[in-house]
Amino acid sequence: MTMIGLEIHCQLTNLNSKLFCSCKANYREFEINENICPVCMGLPGSLPRLNQDAVKKATLIAMALNCTTPEKIAFFRKNYFYPDSPKNFQITQLNIYGDTSVGGAGSIMVGDKKIRITRIQLEEDPGRLIYEGSSSKNQITLVDYNRAGTPLVEIVTEPDFETPKEVRDFLNILSDILANLGVADPSLEGAMRADANVSIEGGKKVEIKNIGSFHDLEKAVHFEITRQESLHSRDIDIIQETRHWDDQRKITVSSRSKEEDLDYRYFLEGDIPWITIDPEIRKKLQIEMPESINSKKERYISKYNIPSQVADVLSSDKYYSDLFEDAHTESNAKEVANIITTELMGLVDTREKREVSKFTFIHLKELADAIQSGKVSRNSSKNALHEILKSGKDLSTVITELDLGNVSDESELSGIITLVISEESQAVEETKSNPQTINYLVGKVMQKTKGKADPTLTLDILKKQIGV
Amino acid sequence: MVTEEEIEHVSKLMRIEIDDHDEYVDKVKSMIGYFDILDSAGVESEEISMPEIPISNLRKDEYIPFEDKLIEKLNHYKGTYVRAPKMSS
Amino acid sequence: MNLKISALDFIQEVKTGNISVEDFVAKTIEQIQNVDDKLHAFLSVNEEAVDQARKIDKKIKSGDKVGNCFGMPISIKDNICIKNSKTTCASKMLENFVAPYDATVIKKLKQQDAIFIGKVNLDEFAMGLTTEFSAFGPSKNPWDTNYVPGGSSGGSAVSVSSFECVASLGSDTGGSVRNPASFCSTVGYKPTYGLISRYGLISYANSIEQIGPLTRTVKDSAFMLNMISGIDHNDNTTIDNKNEDYLLGIESGIEGKRIGIIKEMIGEGIDPAVLSATKDAISKLESLGAICEEISLDMVKYSVAAYYTITATEASSNLARYDNIRYGYDFPLEGYEFNSYISKARRNFGPEVTRRMIIGGFVPSAGHAGKYFLKALKVKSKLTREINEAFKKFDFLVSPTVPILPFKFGEKIDDPISLFLVDINTVTANLTGKPAISIPFANSNGLPIGIQLMADSMNDKSLLQAAYALEQTVSLPEVPI
Repeated sequence: MTMIGLEIHCQLTNLNSKLFCSCKANYREFEINENICPVCMGLPGSLPRLNQDAVKKATLIAMALNCTTPEKIAFFRKNYFYPDSPKNFQITQLNIYGDTSVGGAGSIMVGDKKIRITRIQLEEDPGRLIYEGSSSKNQITLVDYNRAGTPLVEIVTEPDFETPKEVRDFLNILSDILANLGVADPSLEGAMRADANVSIEGGKKVEIKNIGSFHDLEKAVHFEITRQESLHSRDIDIIQETRHWDDQRKITVSSRSKEEDLDYRYFLEGDIPWITIDPEIRKKLQIEMPESINSKKERYISKYNIPSQVADVLSSDKYYSDLFEDAHTESNAKEVANIITTELMGLVDTREKREVSKFTFIHLKELADAIQSGKVSRNSSKNALHEILKSGKDLSTVITELDLGNVSDESELSGIITLVISEESQAVEETKSNPQTINYLVGKVMQKTKGKADPTLTLDILKKQIGV
Repeated sequence: MVTEEEIEHVSKLMRIEIDDHDEYVDKVKSMIGYFDILDSAGVESEEISMPEIPISNLRKDEYIPFEDKLIEKLNHYKGTYVRAPKMSS
Repeated sequence: MNLKISALDFIQEVKTGNISVEDFVAKTIEQIQNVDDKLHAFLSVNEEAVDQARKIDKKIKSGDKVGNCFGMPISIKDNICIKNSKTTCASKMLENFVAPYDATVIKKLKQQDAIFIGKVNLDEFAMGLTTEFSAFGPSKNPWDTNYVPGGSSGGSAVSVSSFECVASLGSDTGGSVRNPASFCSTVGYKPTYGLISRYGLISYANSIEQIGPLTRTVKDSAFMLNMISGIDHNDNTTIDNKNEDYLLGIESGIEGKRIGIIKEMIGEGIDPAVLSATKDAISKLESLGAICEEISLDMVKYSVAAYYTITATEASSNLARYDNIRYGYDFPLEGYEFNSYISKARRNFGPEVTRRMIIGGFVPSAGHAGKYFLKALKVKSKLTREINEAFKKFDFLVSPTVPILPFKFGEKIDDPISLFLVDINTVTANLTGKPAISIPFANSNGLPIGIQLMADSMNDKSLLQAAYALEQTVSLPEVPI
């Protein structure tokens, strides 16, 4: 049986400051090496100052993934030399003196399958390396430490996956959960990364590191299974090793890491006492925890009678579900859901589009209400939506400027209908024997009004004028 | 007893080149040898403890930029990157 | 101008206008120029000290608010960061390192108008107890320059005892404040772990070390503690002492206090002169109304092995950052691969640091942690339990600070094990986090002997009271410089 396990690293991008200092957690907006201080640069004499909210957010993740959460957490040093690590050790967590990492054993469901979580740990992200120079002779490494110290949560799973598809489904669900918790924005470049370990029946465990994206992770796992099966079929032993993903060639390559690099000499970080998280605080976190995706989905179905598939997409994306929550009322909920899933999703499907759009939940609410009250037709509402996304203007302005408002003035509409009746005498006659034909006449009125006629009113006047 | 090979291996692990045998091998051997006394302390069943503080004592999550442009006080490359030697692939 | 005054007297003299800060500081600089060629306490001297003194005089004259130090010249061990000053740790590795920030203790002293007269010598990265491991040459004992001044805060002790400053800050990882204090006949104080912020103290073994003052009198140490102790949000291991005033009630005496005499600290290998001084100290304590009784702390015989195992482990990690990439000395990296470059760059560590890094790489490593590092941590735990038990019965514990007299240069440098055993009486306070003080007590043929008192955690105030009481029974010769 193929066994795949994952180590997912997720930056807590929604925090203000780094894990051990007051530099900014979201380093992306800075010039090179401008988001650094003596602490995250590990300067002589500096000491780590643990971020309270980082511990809380990490605990929240542990709770959301049904993990045990200990009363005390401890930090350890992982010792290794690398230029992206300013102290040449990483402050991380381990469970060598009891369960002292932020999360213990837990699980989440992926479809009908339970994926077990081994543990969750809070740790610091290293800096970033850029390699410069072409020939190996003049090559040097450039380091940007802006990222160093960014709070990172590592989620370790048991080897419960059997196929690359299960891995992908799990990662999708996990990203949605983390986004829904409001602790991280998985759509930010580099905010979520993962390593995998893969073993096939009768083979040893192989670790794959350096996978840049979730998309590549699925490919890397797939490649690795194929590679191992091919070795196995030729009776070649699969050795326990670490391989890295070659992004260019889309293959895994054996890492020639030396044996001596593997001894991390873990020991307790004396600069950070053990942190007690008393039951009261854990209870408070549990209460403040945002509603889960599953619970949202069920509520949308049962309370608003929203179709299951619509509720599914709506609840799993935090951006859309936040919009829904803010915009909906008892009466317009279905319409709001409808606008989001049929129109909006096609227009703001990427992080960039969401960032540039000037769309707010108020627009959404007004639009849904206007459709329901007949102020705009569903047809015109699409044009209005496009314009709002572009300009951010409010709905009534957009309706006036684009002349999208429904013709709901009875005398104006009567005039147009009289004209249609005179032009379509044959159809009018037919209506008397075949009532369905009236829809044809409604369509004609719509044509004349460019879709802006209030459909209910149109029908009423038509019936009155024809006398059916 | 710690061997000469182990000492040489560890010094590589610690990224320190050693040459003087007497200074680094013999002395280190005798120092580590002294630690054998720990075997007779009879502490196997002892628990390891650490000081504890409540989570409420920890730093609040606030962004406060460092007062100076720190990179200018460090080794740097064109005022931006820190330079490191090339990495073995 | 008399430089031979205590910190409290200095403050009094300045306050009453008997002396000006400028005169005193200028005279102190002159003293450094006169004696430091011979003693080598200083690694750098603050060239703006006299200007700073003049400014404080001006503040005093114009009636502005002046900090409690009133321009007192203080020397600082060169492993404590002062912004925009060189902080070398007496290592070639940090020969050119200019700290970009102030340590918390420095920030506090600046607010109190202290003057940092200079940075003083130590064993490289505070690893040693003689200053012979300073990359810039040893300091000399002012009582006899053929003898070591103790260490690692040797420069601090020398500068205080030879009037090159009024007080000094050192750091104590296993006795590094108390040992040189004892060898140079000054007071040396190691507070409860967490009482003084370590932010800006360059780490050697961070889980057990503390900054501590070296002063001429016990009251001066209490004063310094008032200036620099307290919780610091930059150091998660600091404790809230509620702004305790350590001078208040310092003359309370020790009538009725119970004092334990640690058997393991006056046993095998103790110098007869030290033993007789200790016995004398015990009878002095008894004459002050204390009740003294012997007590055994079983784990003390393993404490030095545990101490070196733990400190080497922490040091190997704390010093890993010195790879010469972000800061350091001039050594071009072109043409080198990362690991070979840093291995070459790190040759700038001296031999003792190098040895301890090798030990520190070995004892916690995968195959050996169980035999060494974990056992050491367990000895530390058990020793702490034993001493906590002892403090249920006793208010204080007494021992000689160092079981032997100051020794000559070169005498022990090639025998690491005999150097280890010099630490036997001091490491317990560090491993257990307890406060401890060395009080100048006797003099044997011109060589000083200090007595150590220890108290339970956060009993720093009563410890200073006991030390003050003992100090009052002592009359010592003047240092022959």
